[in-house]
Amino acid sequence: MTTKKEDAKRLGIYLLIVFLSMLLFVLFRRPMEASTTVYFIIFDLFSFSPAIASLITRAVTKEGFRDMELHLHLAGNIRWYLLAFALPMICFSVKFFLPIILTGHAGWLAGLTVQDVLSNVLTLAALSAVTSVGLIGEELGWRGYLNQKLEPLLGTVGTCLAGGIVWGLWHLPMDLVGCLNSGGTISEAFTICGGRMLALTFYGVFLMWLTKKTDSVFPAVIAHHVFNESQGALAALLSQCPIPEDADLGVIADVFAHLPMIVVAVLFMILLLRDGGSEALRPAR
Amino acid sequence: MTGLVYKEWKQDRWLILSMLLCGAAPVLVLLLMHSEIADIGDAPIRIGGLLAGVFAAGALQMAVLRGDDRKLWAYWITASADGYRGYLRVRYETIFGMIVLFLFSVQLVDMGYCAVAADRGQDAVPISSIALLMCFVQILLRAVDIPFVYRFGSKKGSIIKMICMVTAAILLVASLILDPARLERIIETCRTTVNAQNGSLLLSVGLIVCLVMYYLSYRISCRLYLKGVEQYDH
Repeated sequence: MTTKKEDAKRLGIYLLIVFLSMLLFVLFRRPMEASTTVYFIIFDLFSFSPAIASLITRAVTKEGFRDMELHLHLAGNIRWYLLAFALPMICFSVKFFLPIILTGHAGWLAGLTVQDVLSNVLTLAALSAVTSVGLIGEELGWRGYLNQKLEPLLGTVGTCLAGGIVWGLWHLPMDLVGCLNSGGTISEAFTICGGRMLALTFYGVFLMWLTKKTDSVFPAVIAHHVFNESQGALAALLSQCPIPEDADLGVIADVFAHLPMIVVAVLFMILLLRDGGSEALRPAR
Repeated sequence: MTGLVYKEWKQDRWLILSMLLCGAAPVLVLLLMHSEIADIGDAPIRIGGLLAGVFAAGALQMAVLRGDDRKLWAYWITASADGYRGYLRVRYETIFGMIVLFLFSVQLVDMGYCAVAADRGQDAVPISSIALLMCFVQILLRAVDIPFVYRFGSKKGSIIKMICMVTAAILLVASLILDPARLERIIETCRTTVNAQNGSLLLSVGLIVCLVMYYLSYRISCRLYLKGVEQYDH
């Protein structure tokens, strides 16, 4: 059993490495602008930095490589794997489609066919099984290490909040580079980062629950992949609909931009708190 | 289960890690055939390299099963806490993981190559989408291969599989020769079934079918395993 002091020390080292990796974008900003190859290398290194940081911390602090939650644990957990795929799809479907229906513009969706929807969903499902593995670079760090170290120190609610803030802040260099390269301002980048931090904090609750329930980071990897890809897939579907360029759905669209994720966060927070600490949720093996 | 995964890693780690090398095959072949680029272009060479990588990766994935067809081991693992079902599950997961690792490597190397080409002012065509389809073909092929290995043993299984496939091919060709109009009917049915409207749907269904087949293959292997054990070491 580790003490809180040891956990805090390990967490400090981990966060230091993660936030140092953010400096890559600052140090290599000019070469990244000049060369696609440098951009590719730095971006990929950065994408894997949470996992690399967890491995380095485990090695430096000599805590070993147990509890990395790298087992698939498929037996008995298939339903949670399916949930990892379905829930983000449902959330984003509600976010995109429900405001259109509720504001009386359901006719805009007439351009959609069952075939299109089905082929998008099935393709995303198939791809999430084989192409989501790259996101282990993040999830091995966030769910496989950060949450484990934060929970004894801050409790479940604190872990979700602090974890979401760290996860969101970590994306700041990407948002900055993306904004500045497309002619945006720093304040716009911070606005994007703030919105992302909010969404990730809500969504992080579900990923934390999923990881604890299955004792594996892989459902979180799939859920993360579907979170990233389903927005693009649904936007591509909507692009087939005859939606006017200047369409404004008003306050309902703003409400539904965050409401599904808030509902998910509240629901899974209740489940996390009801089930008690992480050890209570973990199935006996 | 942890023990089985540990055994898998200790025993087959080089085979697993070799997937990274197979994924780099498109660029390795390109480097070897550097002088040919001017004549046939880099994309066909990279696709050729990808196919070579797919074949090599397939052979290495099946090599993981080498040595499983021994009675002593089979009875021992059947009597263990996880049983033969747990053992087969880990085997299937390992091979699936190898396919995913191969795809990850292909995509990473391909993106790297395209980035380098962009810096040189060239417009390289990404081959990741072909690799993705190849990956699903690999899943389907392994779904067929693995039950044969566990039912008949490694050597005998591959011979029986070959006989089955050759027999099926002969029957198909014979039926088409005896009734040439059937070929036209098949082509016409395909033409009416697959069109621009439902092409993407059929493709997506095909991808899911590959995954379902892989799962069914695991269930079939579980059913056949103990029957197959009786024939091992003969």
